[in-house]
Amino acid sequence: MNHPVWDLPLLGSGWIIGIISIIHVSIAHLVVGAGIWLAIMEGRAQRAADGDLQAWLRSRAKALLWLSSIFGAATGVGIWVAIGLVNPTATQHLIRAFVMGWAIEWLIFAGEMATLIVLVRAYDRLKPRQRLVLYWLYAFCAWLSLVVINGIITFMLSPGKGWTASHAMWDGFFNATYLPSLLLRTFVALALGGLWGLAAGGSSNPTLKSRILKPTALFTLAGVLLAAASGWYYFQSFPPAARELVLGNLKGATSLAQGFRWALWGLGAFLVPGLLVLWAFFAPQTFRRPVALLGLLLACWGFGGFEWIREVARKPFVIRDVMYSNGIRVEQVAGYLKDGFLPQNAWARTFAASKGDTDLAKGEALLRSQCLACHTRDGYRSLKALTASNSEGDNVAFIQALRELDPALNPYLDRMPPFAGTEQEAELLGKYLGSLKAK
Amino acid sequence: MLLPPIPSPDPLLLPLPPVALKALLLVTFTLHLMAVNLGVGGSLIMAVHAWRGKPEDRDLVRRLAPLLPAAVTFAITLGIAPLLFVQLTYGPFFYTASVLTAVPWLALIFLLMAGYGLLYRFVGSAAAPAIHATSGILGSLLLLSVGLMLVNVTTLSLRPDLWAAHAAASPHGLRMNTADPTLWPRYLHMVAGIAAVAGLLLAGWGAWRRHAYARRVGLLWFIVATASQAAWGTWLLVRQPDPVFGLLMNTTTAPSLMMWISITCGGLALFMAIPASQAGAPAKAVWAPFGLGLAAVLGMILLRDQARDASLAAFGFHPEALPHKTDWLSLGVFGLTLVGLVVLLIVILRWATQPAPSAPAAE
Repeated sequence: MNHPVWDLPLLGSGWIIGIISIIHVSIAHLVVGAGIWLAIMEGRAQRAADGDLQAWLRSRAKALLWLSSIFGAATGVGIWVAIGLVNPTATQHLIRAFVMGWAIEWLIFAGEMATLIVLVRAYDRLKPRQRLVLYWLYAFCAWLSLVVINGIITFMLSPGKGWTASHAMWDGFFNATYLPSLLLRTFVALALGGLWGLAAGGSSNPTLKSRILKPTALFTLAGVLLAAASGWYYFQSFPPAARELVLGNLKGATSLAQGFRWALWGLGAFLVPGLLVLWAFFAPQTFRRPVALLGLLLACWGFGGFEWIREVARKPFVIRDVMYSNGIRVEQVAGYLKDGFLPQNAWARTFAASKGDTDLAKGEALLRSQCLACHTRDGYRSLKALTASNSEGDNVAFIQALRELDPALNPYLDRMPPFAGTEQEAELLGKYLGSLKAK
Repeated sequence: MLLPPIPSPDPLLLPLPPVALKALLLVTFTLHLMAVNLGVGGSLIMAVHAWRGKPEDRDLVRRLAPLLPAAVTFAITLGIAPLLFVQLTYGPFFYTASVLTAVPWLALIFLLMAGYGLLYRFVGSAAAPAIHATSGILGSLLLLSVGLMLVNVTTLSLRPDLWAAHAAASPHGLRMNTADPTLWPRYLHMVAGIAAVAGLLLAGWGAWRRHAYARRVGLLWFIVATASQAAWGTWLLVRQPDPVFGLLMNTTTAPSLMMWISITCGGLALFMAIPASQAGAPAKAVWAPFGLGLAAVLGMILLRDQARDASLAAFGFHPEALPHKTDWLSLGVFGLTLVGLVVLLIVILRWATQPAPSAPAAE
C-alpha cells in the first residue's frame, strides 16, 4: 500500500466498511423501492379519491425524508470515509477512474433530495397531479442514482479488458456484470421498500389496513420473486474465477456457524419476506408491525449476505485483475519482487524507521502494508492463530511460496494477493510472524 | 533528516484540466459553505433563541427552525462534491491525513447523525421548552464538532512534515492533529465565520420579510462573531508555518492581497452593521453589510485555496502540473444532467411557492 495503514486491532479495519455498508446499502436500496412504492400507492389513492390513504402516504414520505437524510446520506458519506481509511490507494484509483460518474450521481442525488423536501414541506400547496409527479420524480431520481453507482460497484468485480486498455470511464462503467447487477439491485430495492411499506401499514388503523397491505404485499412479492430470478442471472454473469470462488466458499461452509450464516441469508432474503407477504395479503387485519420489522431486518441481513458474496467473488482483488486487496496494483508486483517493496514504499520505510529499523520492525512494516487489509495480528483472521503451529522456517517457506505467480506453485493465488517483495523481505516478514507467538 | 513520506499520486490521468477541477472545487465548496452557514449556524442561533424563550424569540424559532433540517440536508449533499474534488486533486495528502487521524475522522459520521437527529427533535419537538432548547443546543454543538473533524484532517493534510511523528505517536489513528498550532485557531475562526454569516442571513431575511427583530438580532450575531475574528484570525495568522506566513505578510503576493481585501470587506461590514442594528435603523441599511460580509467570505474561500497551494508547494506539490486527458463524453453527460437538475429545481420551486389551493384536495 502506497499510503499509511490504519491498524485497527482485533476487529480489523475491513469490518468497519462491512458494518457501515450493510446499514447504508440497506437504507439506500430501501429508499429506492419505497419511492416507487409510494408513487404507485399515491396513484392508486388518487384514482380511488381515497383521501385517508393520501394523508397516510404523506406521513410515509416524511418518514422517508427522515430516513434518507439522516441515515442514508450520512452513512453514504460514511462508506466513503471508511473505504478511504481502509484502502486509500484503491479509493483514490476509483475516484480517478470515476470522478465524473460520482459527480453525475451527486447531481442526481441533489435532485432526489430536492424533490422529496418539496413534496414534504410544500405538500399543501401542491395540486394532486403535481404531488403524483413529485412522487414519481423522487422515485426516478433515487433509481437513477442506483443506475450510476451500480456502474462503479460492478466495475470492481468485472472491470473488463476494454477499460484496462483504454482507462475510459464508460468502458469500465458498462461492464459484464452491470445489467444483471442493476436488475438484481432494482428488485431487491422493491422487496425492501415493500417490506418497509408492510411494516408501516402494519400499525395503520383497521379501516386503512387492508387497502395498504394487499397491494403492498403484491409489490413486495414481485420484488422477492424477481430478485431471486435476477440473482441467478447475476451469478451467471460473474467472471468464471469469481464463480468458482463463491461456489468453493459455499461448499466449504461445513462448520455450524458458516452453515447457519448461509441459512440465515437464505431465510432473510427469500423465505421470511415470502411468508410475510402471504400473511399480509390473506390476513391483513391480523398482520402486525413488529413482525414486519423483524422481517425487514432479516431481509437486510440477507442482502448483506449478497454484498458479502460480492466481496468474496472479488478476492484476492479489490478491483479484479487491476489491484489487489492490499492496494498493490497487479502491474507493480514484478517490480516489488525484483527490487523490493520497502525501498519503493515511503510509508513502510517510515514505520520501520520509527521502530529503529530492526529486522522485526521491517517485518512488521511489511505485514502492515501487505497483510492488514484482510488480517489482524490476534483478532479477526488472526495471523497469530494461523501461524501458531509454524516454526520461523515454516513461516518463511510459506511467505516464499506466496511470492510465486504460478498457480501450480502458489495454491493461495486465487484468494490471497502474492507476497510482493524480495526473498530477503519474505524472511523479514516470516521472522516477524514468528515473533507474534511471544506477544 | 528523512523526506516527508508523501505517497505517489495515482497513475490514472485526471479527466479534466486541473484548472477546471479547481474551479469545480471552489464553486461547490462555496455552495457547501453557504448551506453550512445556513443550516449549522442557523441551528446554533435558533437554539440560543429557543433557550432565551421570550415571545419574540419563540416567534423567530417557530418561523425559521422548520427550515433547518432541509438546510443541513443540503449542507451534507453539497459537501460531497468538494470532498470528491479534493480527493481527486490532493489525494496523496488528504488520504494520508485521514488515515493518520482515522478515529476522529470516522467519528464525524456518528457526530453528524447524532447532531442531525437532535436537530429534527428540536424542530419537531412538543417537549418542555428547556428540553426543546437543550436538543437544539446539543444538536448544533454536535454539528459544529463535525467541522472540528474536518479542520483536523485538513490541517494535517497540509503538514507532511508532521506526519512521521504523528504516525509514530498514534499507530491506531486515535490522535487528533494537536501538534499543529493552527488547529484550534482555524477551527474557532471557522465557527465564528459560520455564526457571523448565519447572522447576516437572518438579518437579510428580516429585512426582506420586514421582521425588525430578526434583522436586529441577526446583525448582533454578525457583529459579535465578526469582532471575535480579531482574536481568532490574528491567532491563526501568526501560527501559520513560515512559508505561508511570509507569503501573507508580503503585500505584493496574490494571497496577501486577497487576505487584506477580505479583512477590509469584513471590517467595513462590521462598522456598517453597528448603526444598522440600532432600533429605528431602516431595513435597507442591512444590505451594505450583507454584501460586504458575503464578499469577505468569498475572499476567504479564495485565500484558503491559495494558502493550501502555497503550503503544499513547499513540499514540491503543484496541482496545476498534474497530467490530464479531458473526458469530453463524461463532461457532456455531466452538463446534460446539470441542465436537467436546474430545470427540475426551477419547476419544483415554482410549485413549492405557488399559492395553496383554497380547499385542501382529497383530504
